[in-house]
Amino acid sequence: MSPGQLRPSYPEAVEKGAERITQLLHGHYHLAPRAVALLLLQEDAEVGDLVRRQEGSARWRAIQAVVGEVKKQVAEPLSYILAVRRQEAARALARAVISREKGRRRTWSEVLGDLTMRPLVGIPVLILVLYFGLYQFVGVFGAGTVVDYLEGSIFEAYINPWVNGMVDRLIPWPLVQDLIAHEYGIVTLGLRYAVAIILPIVGSFFLVFSVIEDSGYLPRLALLVDRLFKGIGLSGRAVIPLTLGFGCDTMATLVSRTLETRRERIIATLLLALAIPCSAQLGVILSLLAAYPKALLVWAGFLILVFLLVGYLTAQLLPGDGPSFYMEVPPLRLPQLGNVLTKTYTRIQWYLMEIVPLFVLASVLIWLGRITGLFDLIVRALGTVVGYLGLPPKAGEAFLFGFFRRDYGAAGLYDLAASGALSPRQLTVAAATLTLFVPCIAQFSVMVKERGWATALAIAGFIFPFAFLAGYVLNLLLTVAGVLG
Amino acid sequence: MDCCQNRKPWWRRWRSGPDEARKLKAEGELKKVALVGNPNVGKSVLFNRLTGIYVTVSNYPGTTVEVARGKGRFGGEEFEIIDTPGMYSLLPITEEERVARRLLIAERPNAVLHVVDARNLERMLPLTFQLIEAGLPLILVLNIMDEARRRGIRIDCERLAQALGIPVVPVAAALNEGLDLLRKKVTEVVARAA
Repeated sequence: MSPGQLRPSYPEAVEKGAERITQLLHGHYHLAPRAVALLLLQEDAEVGDLVRRQEGSARWRAIQAVVGEVKKQVAEPLSYILAVRRQEAARALARAVISREKGRRRTWSEVLGDLTMRPLVGIPVLILVLYFGLYQFVGVFGAGTVVDYLEGSIFEAYINPWVNGMVDRLIPWPLVQDLIAHEYGIVTLGLRYAVAIILPIVGSFFLVFSVIEDSGYLPRLALLVDRLFKGIGLSGRAVIPLTLGFGCDTMATLVSRTLETRRERIIATLLLALAIPCSAQLGVILSLLAAYPKALLVWAGFLILVFLLVGYLTAQLLPGDGPSFYMEVPPLRLPQLGNVLTKTYTRIQWYLMEIVPLFVLASVLIWLGRITGLFDLIVRALGTVVGYLGLPPKAGEAFLFGFFRRDYGAAGLYDLAASGALSPRQLTVAAATLTLFVPCIAQFSVMVKERGWATALAIAGFIFPFAFLAGYVLNLLLTVAGVLG
Repeated sequence: MDCCQNRKPWWRRWRSGPDEARKLKAEGELKKVALVGNPNVGKSVLFNRLTGIYVTVSNYPGTTVEVARGKGRFGGEEFEIIDTPGMYSLLPITEEERVARRLLIAERPNAVLHVVDARNLERMLPLTFQLIEAGLPLILVLNIMDEARRRGIRIDCERLAQALGIPVVPVAAALNEGLDLLRKKVTEVVARAA
């Protein structure tokens, strides 16, 4: 093999065309002129804009004429031809420099890795991952044991009484007392939610998720559900942003830019905002409903139904082709403890930076709202709305909290349930509605950043009435069927 | 879950508005080294090793969706190291590939490290060809050499370097292997390009 064969050579028509375009390029592109010419031949829009701006319309028309001519001389799209030539050169070069030892046996991780992509093994594995990872560790341990301890044994028993006592003694004005302490204070409500309820749940979720991520399981899951996802206008690729959503919908929305088409990105953003509960919300809901396995099943089934139905309808309504799917599947690896711990730690740190100011802000806003009477007004209005869902008026408060953060709303529900004010049916309806209900402020801001105001507002405008309508229907169904009393 | 590339919390994100352009703006006078390559080849692990800054690393493609920056000292000189989202081709399809290419065009790095997975060299070489065509000051970094060796894959690095006409460095970033040689090659390439 001669050395020349080791670099890709393109058909003569392409090379000549590139040569002619190169001579028409006078601007500065920071890339070699031949590379710019090749990108122009492949009709790259971004480079096209750059060149048109720099070269002016006369030379741009000349360049386009060359591109048109070359296109006529070849049978296939130019980007395809170039890719094939490069692929051939890559194969030749790889053969020349790589040697493989023969007779190597497949490792156990390769065998297991392949098995997880087959439905017969993959689905049971998925159920195991969900049961042990999510339900047992995050739901029962994180949201149950740890939250009970921090909430009951630390905050309720020591911190809150101490803060209330100190504040009452040191600050003579009841108005300011309420800002820091008592039912809705920054410390007694805001910090308590952040530290005692949300932190253990999010922390345990991030830990489990880091292990799953580093094992290489997610791309296998993507292949497994690809067919199902095609039905809702998404490809298996969307598994990653959507499962990330179970961690934090805000970040998942950011990651949805890895999807190929705008259509896919919009569908994923909508589904994340609507039907995927974030870990904090999930944890609180798991612990709320854990006492009633039937309620948990109804809640999960209802959300899956909404997820598929809305996905399917959106895919029908939005114009555009279905996505193609191509993803590299990395090997299964044993996660490294160091990376898992560092990642969990940086995520928790990031999460606290994100939520603590919001919780404090929420406490302040609620305090202002209560002084001005606005709070009671909104709670009463929401109370009427939640009345249609068969919920007590006080549940309106949880929905108001939900505006600030999804988990904050769920945590509000937690307080309400702890006081025994809700029946299993009411709890199920409230949990389902709250899961569907508006994305939190942070998620909305990322939606605006990634998808633009129009799309973000349209999505929020759809979700608000839809959540209540869905809750109404669910309540009706449960009442008529007579389940969950 | 890439909270950690975008670590600015919402209250700062909101104030700052559209930030991509500003982020891509030059950060002073340091010479720049950009890490590019297919998704999931270990660019972020290498970034962590070269800078000592932690960015999220996971075992699936698409962990990094935004550019991360840090500083690293090689051979007495300080460099700005830039980690980019994965790209399959110089002709971008998804938004994160566009981010990587824009960076190459806008910032003119003094050295570009094309990080590849040594186990799948053939699949990665087409991008190497494109980066060479683009005339960038390129080094080919064969990462994950440890796993490749375990699978019985041997790569003739010298021959590869000759055929491509660029330096080729085998490393195992996760195990801190081969990084000294890489640092040395970077300083050489930067010196030659200057």
